[in-house]
Amino acid sequence: MVEDALAKGLIAVGAGLAVGLAGIGAGLGESGIGAAAVGATAEDRGFFGLGILFTVIPETIVIFGLVIAFILMFAF
Amino acid sequence: MIYRGNRAAWAYIVARTKVMKSRLLKAEDFRKLLNMDFDEIIRYVGETEYKREVDEMGYKYTGPRLLDYALFANLARTYRKLIEVSFGASKFLIAKYLEKWDVWNLINILRGKMAGVQPEIIEDTLVPAGEKDFEFYKTLIVRDVEEVVKAFEGTPYYEALSKIGSEDMSKIEDELYKIYYRELLKLSPSDFAMKLFLDFIRMEVDIRNIKTILRLKADDATAEEIMNCIIPGGYELTEDEARKLAAMPLDELVKALEGYWFWKDIEIEGKEVARVEIEFDKIWISTIAKRASNYPLSILPVLQYVVLKKVEVDNLRILGWGKWYGLPNEEIERQMVIL
Repeated sequence: MVEDALAKGLIAVGAGLAVGLAGIGAGLGESGIGAAAVGATAEDRGFFGLGILFTVIPETIVIFGLVIAFILMFAF
Repeated sequence: MIYRGNRAAWAYIVARTKVMKSRLLKAEDFRKLLNMDFDEIIRYVGETEYKREVDEMGYKYTGPRLLDYALFANLARTYRKLIEVSFGASKFLIAKYLEKWDVWNLINILRGKMAGVQPEIIEDTLVPAGEKDFEFYKTLIVRDVEEVVKAFEGTPYYEALSKIGSEDMSKIEDELYKIYYRELLKLSPSDFAMKLFLDFIRMEVDIRNIKTILRLKADDATAEEIMNCIIPGGYELTEDEARKLAAMPLDELVKALEGYWFWKDIEIEGKEVARVEIEFDKIWISTIAKRASNYPLSILPVLQYVVLKKVEVDNLRILGWGKWYGLPNEEIERQMVIL
């Protein structure tokens, strides 16, 4: 019973870490891209769409983290 | 302590200057402009980034003066914008580099005052892109030369300025630029961004010095006269190296230049010095471009834009004056720095 609760707790921590660390990584990646996108858009509004697209590319890593979190939460 | 900045800060200003750089006139635009007459050039320039300044100056001036003052006004606005939109380390370094225009403005004011030029005309030749703003220069223009010199008391430039009257103005100008570079090179290479900046400055000093050596050699100047005009602190062309080169006859000097970063098989024989200088400018620009692409998140792409903007303005001025005096297209093209 206690072991079961401990395992569930550890799984929840693992899922949290998967999403959290992926989020931090994506944030670090996006900071540079976002700054460049804002700079380019400030000069020429035509870069707005492209800027948004490039800025969200590192977000994919968060989706991987989210998938891992779901697997941990529902597959075990 | 200088704010070190971070990658995001560099990414912002570099992306912004890259977009600004994309709006500079291309080689094919200059070729198109070469086939136009003067009025068509003014119209063409008035439809580009220079529109605001051409409109502003249009009611005061005509002919090549209109082009000149509009281009300078645009240069000042562009450089000021760079300082305004940057922050942290990039702002500090851009502002430091653009202090060169303080020297330019000071020289313009002094020369204008000595030649008795009207204050309004001196005002329009200024490029207030450095540390001092336009208001400061406006207060200087109405004063006499002694008071202008006094306004710089306490600055590093005062020492050179106090020699006005007792020494030739061209020597004082050389001295002012030497002080500008000396002050820049006093910055310590505390981090990589600063090291790249200082290397850039040293390379610029090299280019200025080699041009000076060749120009003075062509005028049969003595080694001592040449050394008086040399700016210390070069990248490869140190003061000792410059002294050695200054003492050589021209043919030996050309051979000795092989191996320096700024020497790429330039044909000197039978060429005017001005044309050789253009070759050095082209090498300088391509070297900056290479270094800026090697270090994309640094001050180099911004400085590359600063240099290219000045080259564009110079090219347009050459084009304007050349067309105004009816020079043949080939001759105008030879004087321009087109890559």
